[in-house]
Amino acid sequence: MSIEKSPLRRKLDKLFVPLTVGPTLLWIAAIIIYPTAKLLLSSLQFRNPVTNEMEFVGLRNFQRLIFAREGGDAALGVFSPSFVSITTNTVIYVGFSVSISFLLGLGIALLLDKDLKGRGWFRTAVIVPWILPYVMSGLMWRWMFQSDFGAINGALQRLGIISGNIPFLSDGALAMMALIIADVWVFTPFIIIILLAGLQNVPEQLYDAAEVDGASRWSRFWNVTYPFLKPSILVALTIRIIFDIRALDLVWVMTQGGPGKSTEVWASWLYRTAQVFNEPGTGAALGVVLLAVTFAIVASLYKIFGESPYEA
Amino acid sequence: MSTKKSPLNRLRRSLGLDTQNEWPSVARERLLAYGLLAVYVLVIWFPIYYIFITSIKPSSEVLSLPITFLPQNPTAQNYVDIFTNRPFDNYTINSMIVATTTTLICITLGTVTGYSFSRYDFLGNKSLLLSIVGARMIPPIALIVPFFQIMSNPPLIGGLTGSLYDTRLALILTYTFFNLPFAVWIMKNYFDGIPESLDEQAQIDGCSRWEAFVKIILPMAKPGIAATAILAFIFSWNEFVFALVLTSSEQAQTLPIAVSLFVADDFVDWAHLAAGGMIAALPGILFGLFFQQYIVSGLTQGAVKE
Repeated sequence: MSIEKSPLRRKLDKLFVPLTVGPTLLWIAAIIIYPTAKLLLSSLQFRNPVTNEMEFVGLRNFQRLIFAREGGDAALGVFSPSFVSITTNTVIYVGFSVSISFLLGLGIALLLDKDLKGRGWFRTAVIVPWILPYVMSGLMWRWMFQSDFGAINGALQRLGIISGNIPFLSDGALAMMALIIADVWVFTPFIIIILLAGLQNVPEQLYDAAEVDGASRWSRFWNVTYPFLKPSILVALTIRIIFDIRALDLVWVMTQGGPGKSTEVWASWLYRTAQVFNEPGTGAALGVVLLAVTFAIVASLYKIFGESPYEA
Repeated sequence: MSTKKSPLNRLRRSLGLDTQNEWPSVARERLLAYGLLAVYVLVIWFPIYYIFITSIKPSSEVLSLPITFLPQNPTAQNYVDIFTNRPFDNYTINSMIVATTTTLICITLGTVTGYSFSRYDFLGNKSLLLSIVGARMIPPIALIVPFFQIMSNPPLIGGLTGSLYDTRLALILTYTFFNLPFAVWIMKNYFDGIPESLDEQAQIDGCSRWEAFVKIILPMAKPGIAATAILAFIFSWNEFVFALVLTSSEQAQTLPIAVSLFVADDFVDWAHLAAGGMIAALPGILFGLFFQQYIVSGLTQGAVKE
């Protein structure tokens, strides 16, 4: 039995889509258009230290950012790193963090995909680091690497591996290593979750068939697992890379870019120029670079994997 | 014939098994998997254990050598201190209000909008959805400059509110900006999994679009809403950078900021920092232990399109 709809209800029905989609779109348009426009504008301005006015300077912020040499920056009045050095640091940080956490995450995901008793418990246990506040995780690792009372020096000494203290966070290369370890600790669970979901798509019969054919473990992974896992790998890598380039939390609470400028990355230099040195123009210019690089990375990853980013 | 002294052989011997005979490969593989997973879990949980025992050691023990891996005099004093000597009650309330409000806005708008995107063809819905997904690619840190300017001097509503700098509202607005696209995307994918014939049947039975959505579909979407809510809550609870840029006092600062404040120029108050860190980490640990499947399904719906 169908009930006749009243005119009012029909009118309300017509308004369903505008009313449910409209507010959200306005809200999201605000995030894309307004702040991005403001970012582009700020990147073309420079705060005059005397009058405190924002003055239009064209592309000079970009020029200063990219061709900056190590040392004093007359305009900022501070010691600045060269663009090459913060870019190198960013590449080292992101490159090592992403590749180590990817391989580790893939290994753990393959183990968790096995039909093991109690794997729900293992899954819960491996996910937790990713859910904790990054600040807490960063400070926790800073405490682990602390040279006098940190657990790592303490454990190494107790095991008789070292006799003195290793000053992890006051040596440039070791500080970068510590940052990478913390980053891998925080983000490997993310890789595990995404790849584990992808592994559910591999049909069980294919494994059985490969086994009957006597395929080696390696060829089973490469010919059976990988093709089904490829979309998940792409998503995991894309999100990992673009989230690592923009990540400030760990760097800021663990090393603040130090010692010296040895762990200064794009995100920390952006924050420092914009907020600490109160020079929004330079920070905004770096923000524009970051935005462009993010889109370039996403586009090229999808090109490499030969998939359309918008399969939806 | 010599016996190989591999760890696996040692394990076999300790289990009373003959090292010369191969185990059935399935059992061997399973044991190896358990062993590797157990080692991995122990290693990644060790730092959490160490920060926890630091939080229940008296400051004097934290800074004494040799360091202890079992607390000698466990105490709750650090926790008492941070709530009496520092405004941790304010920080906790700020975190609660900001994360809860953000979550409510995101699931309300995310659910209704996700539903419409899943069910209806309307003007440019494909490209609108793409721009929502694209919005997630914008690195938030690139926007600290504009957000600082916008919140200090809000457009349109500025005359009404004045500067929003150092208010919880500034954080709520900012976090909603960044979590809403994600919420829409998860919910759209979730609704795609609910058969459209259910809506059609309800409308044939005389329900309006609104009634069909509220009475029939919404109850079925509860797991998706729960997943979205948990993720939005965790992201807002943990957020640090914008809280650092947009707040400056205990009237709006959240727990991540509060924990970072224990770091002074050349001295870190590790015992109290550890206690504050545990408070900040508590919701995450609880969510992880009890709602793991929602977190996994939310992330999977949000990241991988099946």
